[in-house]
Parts: sequence; structure tokens; C-alpha cells
Amino acid sequence: MLRAGCQLLNQAAAVKTGSNNFALEFVRWRRKPRWLPVAKSKMFRVPERKKQTEEERTELMRLHNNYKTQLRSVRQYLREEVVRQQETSTADHIVLTPEQEEAEFQRCLDENAAWNAKIASERNVRLAEEREAKVAYVQERLEAAKLRSEERREKVDERIRYEIEQAKTFITRESLEVAIETALANPVDHNYAIDLEGNMYRGR
Amino acid sequence: MPSYELALVLRQLPRPELISVIKRTAEAIFDKGGIIRKLENLGTRALPHKVSEHGVVHREATHFTITFDTAPTKISDLKEEFGRDIDIIRRYIFRVEEPEEHKCTLHEEMLPPAYRKDVQEIIDIAKRKQKPKYNYNSGLDYYPFQK
Repeated sequence: MLRAGCQLLNQAAAVKTGSNNFALEFVRWRRKPRWLPVAKSKMFRVPERKKQTEEERTELMRLHNNYKTQLRSVRQYLREEVVRQQETSTADHIVLTPEQEEAEFQRCLDENAAWNAKIASERNVRLAEEREAKVAYVQERLEAAKLRSEERREKVDERIRYEIEQAKTFITRESLEVAIETALANPVDHNYAIDLEGNMYRGR
Repeated sequence: MPSYELALVLRQLPRPELISVIKRTAEAIFDKGGIIRKLENLGTRALPHKVSEHGVVHREATHFTITFDTAPTKISDLKEEFGRDIDIIRRYIFRVEEPEEHKCTLHEEMLPPAYRKDVQEIIDIAKRKQKPKYNYNSGLDYYPFQK
């Protein structure tokens, strides 16, 4: 069928719809898109099954059974051969006696223990170093914090000393009248400029 | 307590009444738990423009500043109280800031550009941005990298 289609493809390229007794269906051209539904007139159409005669059916069944049986026997033969091969040959592995196996296992165990010991010693050295570094870091931070707080305290103390000094000139309720009198007697004017030599230039 | 400076613009008044106004203002600060550091009289002079306050037009006024310390929560109360005083035309309260410390860098700025630190930083940045370039006269007669 397919071969017939291929032979006729050249002709069909010229006449796309095909000949009288044969219609080559192009998927790409002259067909409705894949996403469109079944046409209303074809919705309930049941395609007719091809009739098969009784002797044709039995003949096909016989051929089918023959094929299956032969294939099964070949497969079983191959499987048994592989199993036999694996049991008898020593091509891909070394056969050891139980004593040898035990000795080999012991050797592996010893080697593993040696590795573990080596790594453990390295790790201990590293951890000790890290601990030391951490202790030094914390110590440094603590000292820095102490220094910082001392500096801060010093600053605050200085500020307090300055304010106590200033408090003598603060104006109280008692000295208020005198202060107002002096202020009214001495008007100030901040509207002036100073040059590099210190000369004062008054604005008003 | 932070320091504040109260700038007062007072109505033109005879001296005894002026004293009583200032006294009233200072007492208000004391009543709110404040400390007065300094009183300054900036003199009586013409206002920059005519000011209508409490139903009176003013053209001249006495300027006075009071430097004081008080709690920040009391500032709005003080402003409100001074706003009700009919002898006070304007009142402003400013926070007194610590003077900024400046360092003279004029001698550095006067150097030729190549010696200035900021210019050198800019040149460094420009150098960092330049990609390594293939030198064409290095003996090979073809370009060894993908073009």
C-alpha cells in the first residue's frame, strides 16, 4: 500500500487529489487542521469492519503460534547459556578461599583505620588552630569594646564637666531681672563679616 | 535636654512693659522645667514687611533671642503659649546644632591634577575597566583568539 503510494507520489505531486481509484491524502495540504472537531455529518458514523473468513483466521492463528513458540524457545536457550557461562567461567573475577577473603578484608580494614587516624590528626590540628583564632578574636573584640566604652565615658565626663562650668553662667529666676537689664543695655548685631586679617566689617 | 534658640519678634513697647514681656516668656520656660543659657537683644528696627498680628499692623519691632534647654516634648506647648501672647508678633524655635568640624584641605586641592588623590582614584577606576588587549606585533602571523 505504502509502496504503491510512493510510486504514485510523482503523479500525485502534479494532481494533488490523486487518481480515480486511489486517493493519496496529504497531511500538510488540503486537509482540515488537526484541532478542528469531527464533522457533524460524520459524528455517529461507525466504520465498517473488514470480514475475515474462518480458514483465513485459523491460518493466521497457526502462523502466529508458530512464531511465538519458536521465538520463546530461542530466548530460553540463550538465557540458559548465559547462566551456564556465569556459573562455570572465572574470567571476570578472582576466586578466593575463605581464609584469603578474610585476610583481604582485614587488610582493607587496617588501611581504612590508618586513613581515619591520619585525617583525625589533621582535623585536631586544624580545630586547635581555629579555637585559638576564635579566642584571640573574642579577646580582641572585648578589649576594643572596653576601649570604646572608656572613650565614651571620657567624652561624657568631659561634656558634664563643661556643662557644670557653664552652669555658673545660666540665668535663674533670681538673676533674671539683672540679665534682662544687661541684655537690653547691650544690643548685639551679628550682621558683620571678618576678613583674613581679622578686620570686622559691620553690615548696618 | 537639647539646646534650643527662641527667636522673638516683639511689639514696640516702652521699656518697663518690654521687660515684663521678656520676663513672662522666661518664666514660661522655667515653668516647663527649662534652663536659660543666654539672653540677647538684637535691637529695635524696621520689619522687612508690614506684619498684621493679633489685629494690629506692625512696621517696627524689637528682636530678642533666648537660648535655652528643655525637653523636646515641651516645645509645642511653649510655641502655643507664645502664640497666645499678644505682645509677641513672631516666635520661632530652632534646635542649636553642634558646630561642624572642618579641616582645611586647600593645599591638597591646589596641587596639579596628577598629584590629587581623587584624580588618582578616578584613573585607577578607568584602568580597571580596560580589557586586556592582544598585541599584534608579538611574533604570531595570525590572530590566536576568536574574532
